[in-house]
Amino acid sequence: MKPIMEFTNIEKRLDSLHIGPINLSVEPGTITTIVGTNGAGKSTLLKLMMNLVKPDQGNIKLLNSFVHGPDENWKKNISYQPQTAVGWNAFTGKSLRDFIAPLYPNWDEVLFKRIVEAFNIPLNKSFVALSQGIQQKLKLALTLPRNTSLLLLDEPTAYMDIPAKEQLMNFIVEWMEHGHRAIVMASHQSADIMKLSDYLVVLKQGKLIDIFEKETLIDTHKQYWFNEALPVEKVPGELFRKATQLISNNPERTEAYLHQHGIAWTALESLNLEEIITLILTK
Amino acid sequence: MELPIRLSKSSREPIYHQIENQLKALIAGGQLPEGTPLPSIRALSKDLETSAITIRRAYQDLEYQGFIQTTQGKGTFVAQVEDSMKQQVKVSEVYQTIENAVETALSYDYTIEQIKEIFTEVIDSHRKGGS
Repeated sequence: MKPIMEFTNIEKRLDSLHIGPINLSVEPGTITTIVGTNGAGKSTLLKLMMNLVKPDQGNIKLLNSFVHGPDENWKKNISYQPQTAVGWNAFTGKSLRDFIAPLYPNWDEVLFKRIVEAFNIPLNKSFVALSQGIQQKLKLALTLPRNTSLLLLDEPTAYMDIPAKEQLMNFIVEWMEHGHRAIVMASHQSADIMKLSDYLVVLKQGKLIDIFEKETLIDTHKQYWFNEALPVEKVPGELFRKATQLISNNPERTEAYLHQHGIAWTALESLNLEEIITLILTK
Repeated sequence: MELPIRLSKSSREPIYHQIENQLKALIAGGQLPEGTPLPSIRALSKDLETSAITIRRAYQDLEYQGFIQTTQGKGTFVAQVEDSMKQQVKVSEVYQTIENAVETALSYDYTIEQIKEIFTEVIDSHRKGGS
């Protein structure tokens, strides 16, 4: 299948950060989350996709057309929910809807109304008068119904309470059921968002560490507990150890070594995603 | 519909395989009769917190083995499964469960004789309890 979005050798120098080189391909039917610590370049990556930040090197294609250049027809195929909505403060939800809906040929008014109702969003108040949580919900109600091929969400669960997060996940799942689409989100380690993703793009200070398929990440990280002290030398696959606990990022090699040395483990467990990402970003 | 699938964190069995086997057991055991609609790949991946790739792999394997059927535009359903096939799934699940129990006992340094004893005790208590 043709990718929805493609990054080829993208590089961008900012004041304090050198992003890239990044190669990335977003396939239809997938949910990808960009994870990394604060300032790793997650939001910049989304802005590059929107051509709001211009790359120094490389190309970005959306549905086979370049996002730079004079023809901006590609914009109707992509929706972007930034962390901060600029210029919305004076407007009510109603007038924002009237402004945004006509720009998108596939605008889904039914979905818009359902989100407004589910989140109890007052459409007659100006944006600035809403709480941060409600602002976030309104941003979502004005983004999902655009029904574009690609949906970019920057920290979509910020300021949201637990029931609202759950509703958001359900709306996203439903949105994905409609065929030829993909979502790219940025999040600094929201567990909910990572759980919903197929791929995790891990960024560290602008560098792409890797793109992981989620289950591969879980299957390749295991922790072991032992009754006895471990040998002093580094065990193959060893990522981290503490007294009689060992974390490995290559269980096959670790277990072969342990068998060979007659060391039995008393317990074995997978790590959860947050633990794995923390290890990757800090070790 | 939420399926009663529980993924184990302490198993070396890959996640797609755990899903595949538990679905097979639900179908063979009659909890999911022929024609039951299954959740979409995306919905099940949300419920189980896995990637859609993993669910797609499990569904493809199950479809290939004749346990489920996907109809374009309608969704995925439990297929008609022969009794002999159901029987086979049940037998292999029971074997696997007992094998796991034996492995656990061995890892605690029980001898085969001791394990046999425990096994007999468990069987006896079931007989008495009538369960």
